[in-house]
Amino acid sequence: MQLPSAQVAVLETASADEAQSVDALASATDLPPETVTGAVFELEEAGLVAINEAVDETITLTDEGAEYADEGLPETRFYEAALAAGADEDPVEMGPVIGRSGLEGPQVNIALSNYARKDYGVIDSGEVTADPEADPTADPELVALETLAERDEEVDADSLAVDGDVLDQLERRGLLERRETTVRSVTLTDAGVTELMAGISAAETVGQVTPELLTSGEWREAEFSEYNVEADAEVVDGGNVHILRQTAERVKDTLVGMGFQEMEGPHADADFWINDCLFMPQDHPARTHWDRFALERPTHIDHLPEDLVERVERAHREGVGPDGEGYNSPWDEDFARAIALRGHTTSLSARYLSGEQIGDLEPPQRYFSVEKVYRNDTLDPTHLLEFFQIEGWVMAEDLSVRELMGTFEEFYAQFGIHDIEFKPHYNPYTEPSFELFGTHPTTGELVEIGNSGIFREEMLEPLGVECDVMAWGLALERLLMLMYGFEDIRDIHGTLCDLELLRDTEVTY
Amino acid sequence: MPTVEINPDELRELTGHEDKRDDDLKTDLFGLGLEYEGETEDGEFELEFAPDRLDRLSVEGVARSLRYQYGDARGVSIPSTNTPDWTIRVDPSVPDERPYVTGAVIRGVDLDDDALDSLIQLQEKLHATMGRKRAKGAIGIHDLTMLKGTAATEGTPTIRYVGVEPDGDRFVPLDADREMTPVDVLEEHQTGKTYADLVSGYERYPAIYDDIGLFSFPPVINGRRTEVSTDSRDLFVEMTGTDQWTIDRMLNIVCYALAARGATIEEVTVEYDDDESANADSNGSRSAAGGRELVRPDFSTKTKTVTHDRIESILGIELSTEEIIDLAERSGLEATLVGDDNGTAEDRAYEVTIPPYRVDVLHPLDVIDDLGRAYGFNDLEPRYPDVGTIGGRHERSRLENAARTRLVGLGFQDLLNFHMISEAENFERMNLEEADSGSDVAGSDNSGASDPAYGAGEPATIKGPYSEDYTMLRTWVTPSLLMVLENNTHRRYPQDLAEIGFHAEVDDGENTGVSEGRAVAAVLARHDAAYEDAKARLQAVVKSFGGDLETPPTDHPAYIDGRTAAVVIDGEKVGVIGEVHPKVLVEHDLEVPVAGFEFDLEALQ
Repeated sequence: MQLPSAQVAVLETASADEAQSVDALASATDLPPETVTGAVFELEEAGLVAINEAVDETITLTDEGAEYADEGLPETRFYEAALAAGADEDPVEMGPVIGRSGLEGPQVNIALSNYARKDYGVIDSGEVTADPEADPTADPELVALETLAERDEEVDADSLAVDGDVLDQLERRGLLERRETTVRSVTLTDAGVTELMAGISAAETVGQVTPELLTSGEWREAEFSEYNVEADAEVVDGGNVHILRQTAERVKDTLVGMGFQEMEGPHADADFWINDCLFMPQDHPARTHWDRFALERPTHIDHLPEDLVERVERAHREGVGPDGEGYNSPWDEDFARAIALRGHTTSLSARYLSGEQIGDLEPPQRYFSVEKVYRNDTLDPTHLLEFFQIEGWVMAEDLSVRELMGTFEEFYAQFGIHDIEFKPHYNPYTEPSFELFGTHPTTGELVEIGNSGIFREEMLEPLGVECDVMAWGLALERLLMLMYGFEDIRDIHGTLCDLELLRDTEVTY
Repeated sequence: MPTVEINPDELRELTGHEDKRDDDLKTDLFGLGLEYEGETEDGEFELEFAPDRLDRLSVEGVARSLRYQYGDARGVSIPSTNTPDWTIRVDPSVPDERPYVTGAVIRGVDLDDDALDSLIQLQEKLHATMGRKRAKGAIGIHDLTMLKGTAATEGTPTIRYVGVEPDGDRFVPLDADREMTPVDVLEEHQTGKTYADLVSGYERYPAIYDDIGLFSFPPVINGRRTEVSTDSRDLFVEMTGTDQWTIDRMLNIVCYALAARGATIEEVTVEYDDDESANADSNGSRSAAGGRELVRPDFSTKTKTVTHDRIESILGIELSTEEIIDLAERSGLEATLVGDDNGTAEDRAYEVTIPPYRVDVLHPLDVIDDLGRAYGFNDLEPRYPDVGTIGGRHERSRLENAARTRLVGLGFQDLLNFHMISEAENFERMNLEEADSGSDVAGSDNSGASDPAYGAGEPATIKGPYSEDYTMLRTWVTPSLLMVLENNTHRRYPQDLAEIGFHAEVDDGENTGVSEGRAVAAVLARHDAAYEDAKARLQAVVKSFGGDLETPPTDHPAYIDGRTAAVVIDGEKVGVIGEVHPKVLVEHDLEVPVAGFEFDLEALQ
């Protein structure tokens, strides 16, 4: 009979009385394992070989498991600390026992729950007793961990003389990982032997479509060799838009769809635009050097619109309106001219509202930006020194807080966040002001998602705006973390990013 | 966010709602804008507060607000005061930097441990907020029975606010057991060291004296002689600062808190040496000696006029006059209708009285916010604004998007890195030196100096940087890409990375002194990456934007000589392309060649 060459090779190599693994066949035939696997299945279907599948189980310790094998299980350490504290005689206070055991964080709870489970003693109302009869050194879980640790590598489960229940328990505690692999071995069937005796030959097959094949017309006669179409292919990463950028784009699309125009402006700007125009008193704590990134060079802005500076200073000193009051704080133009990295993109709103950026604006208007801001904060998994702020505002003749609420409900609904709650809040440049809280789409937790309000007249009047403007700000990273459930923003944004995470993150749309 | 610690049992007692469950209290507090953050070891609520209602920095103030919320209290309440017995005389020697003082006498306090803790917390929180860490206003509270003020001329006991030489006198400060001069305190005492900066540069230090001697060294520390304890029955409160209004309001908040615990407030006369230093709008009168006299605490109220129309337009609901007056009273304010009740909403207005402990009401809008809170903002029905506008993207952002799409299509992983970087990463590790700041100018006199290398511009640097990793704005983007390569050597290759990102440099021609731009940067890291790979992709990008690309040879220290070119688009030199220099690769722990390019995004316009 005629068979494809790979099948011929496998058939000729396989034996009727000695099972051979796919890997062994592959090295004997000098074919790739996936080709051999394909050929083996074809031959099995034709009844020429039999496949025997066996499952191998291997076990490795997790980091936590290795740590316990080394230092002892938390409950053992707790038991020893309890003994040392004399808990075998009389109940003792739990706090000092924990302290003595050196356990910290989640290990304390692990110790306490297993202590009870293993009957090492009783924990009741913050007091501990220890059973002097208990013998934690003979604990089967510990023995199993130590056995695994000694081998220091993947261990074949069958070679390990440990009770299956103990392994189950250790796996539940996350101290070891079990992995199963399927090993296929192949033997010739009687039919296979018969066909081999009768003689088989390799079919003439074509490996690849070539230009010659097509132009000569030989393709009409050709038989194409079969591929293992199920085999894994080489990994191709290809290009991918950064996940945070994708989120930003989605926000921009949403806002453009809601009628917002995009703003643009300086990252390094005068404090005047960043703070003074927003009616932030110059001695406001957020304006100290602790919270902002002032520049060493350049130090000061060249030019500010003089009449605007005057009006802003007057608002700070005297307030706005017949019975308005200013701040009892110093105001110094030199301080307003100092250059800093913007702490919020509300500086752009101030520039646009003043007419300075693109000329005077007549209501109604909607504007937004999704741009970087800089805060001299402590770096941690949820805080970066620079992050994206979603900034938006609506200018119209009569806007109430109900319109503010309505706008946010629509915006956040686009991201699956419903049931927004408004907590009355304080901002120097908005009144009324609200912190926005939303329900996390998967965990159901109430999380802060933004800050909003109606711009104060002390801000708008100097800017020359004679109607209402409502505005809000939100950290884009927070929205991203809500949408994807990321835990450490530093894996995503910045030079410490993990390329694998960026490559493999699921797309959203 | 700042927090304040409140004992829930005290809160129940002071509000008269002994049976409130903890959960209900938390909900009521959230309604005031005080978010429950957790519990202290002693079982006190830790509440996050917004820094406007500084009258709520103690349990007494929070209780007062809750009583209004519950409807147990209405309208404006002002504690009664007794006429002054004591005088604070301000001496001409008082340092010019800290000229103002205010004060009050408190009689008949009953301070148990909780009440004393609450008073100390209020003092600390006021220092941290309105007092601007004691710089603007500092509070001293003393046991009145320990003070001795002889009748001066008119027969009233007097204490004196003066300036002393740094080593001009001695006293025993709190938490010390020996006499110290003011300068000793600043140098040797723990609290003194903490606050030494506040008086550095003063020729004379602020000090307060009674007949016995120096008993307070504001804003640093009080003397031990007048220390307040749970046995104290009568208190002397003094505040000094750089602004009369600020310390007067801080005093009001403290007096209201003590009055809420049943104390009697007794006024104090503050006598300034001249009329220069007292604020023009303070209601003082001249003393016999010719100086200005203030009577404190100043419990006068102020009024704001709010129109009916504005209330309705901000809240988005219709309200009757009665409702507005009711909402005001439930906010601890008092509203009186001015104008015709039957008139239109535009004609009607309210004169609203603001109590003296409120420091946040600057404008009628602040009154409307109070009315909204009393009404319940969450009871308002959201409404989408009936306003039509056309949305759109900024041109720069559209260009950036188009270029990014093209790069991703060419197989690049798009990146997003920080704009702040260190000098080491931006320059040294790239084998690049910052160009002389003068070299830009040198070009104009045709001295033959070549253009500075791409990325070698003068950086905008940060004053007092957070860490040495973030000291400046990056002048080019490629260093960030090399850092990502460096941090991902354990990940699969090829690593083709691109970023269209912000970069900036000092530019005297710009109004802000900084020119900010976006650069298109890309690197190819793989075992066989070469100049041609980078050029092929650069060509593709430039071509798709209709640009005309030339790559004349150039030098750049970050790239290999002879494999480096300038990126010239439409005749203008806008970037650099080349194979990254092995020195730079080794510096970044890379074991594969890297080829890349960077040019200004604007060149694609």
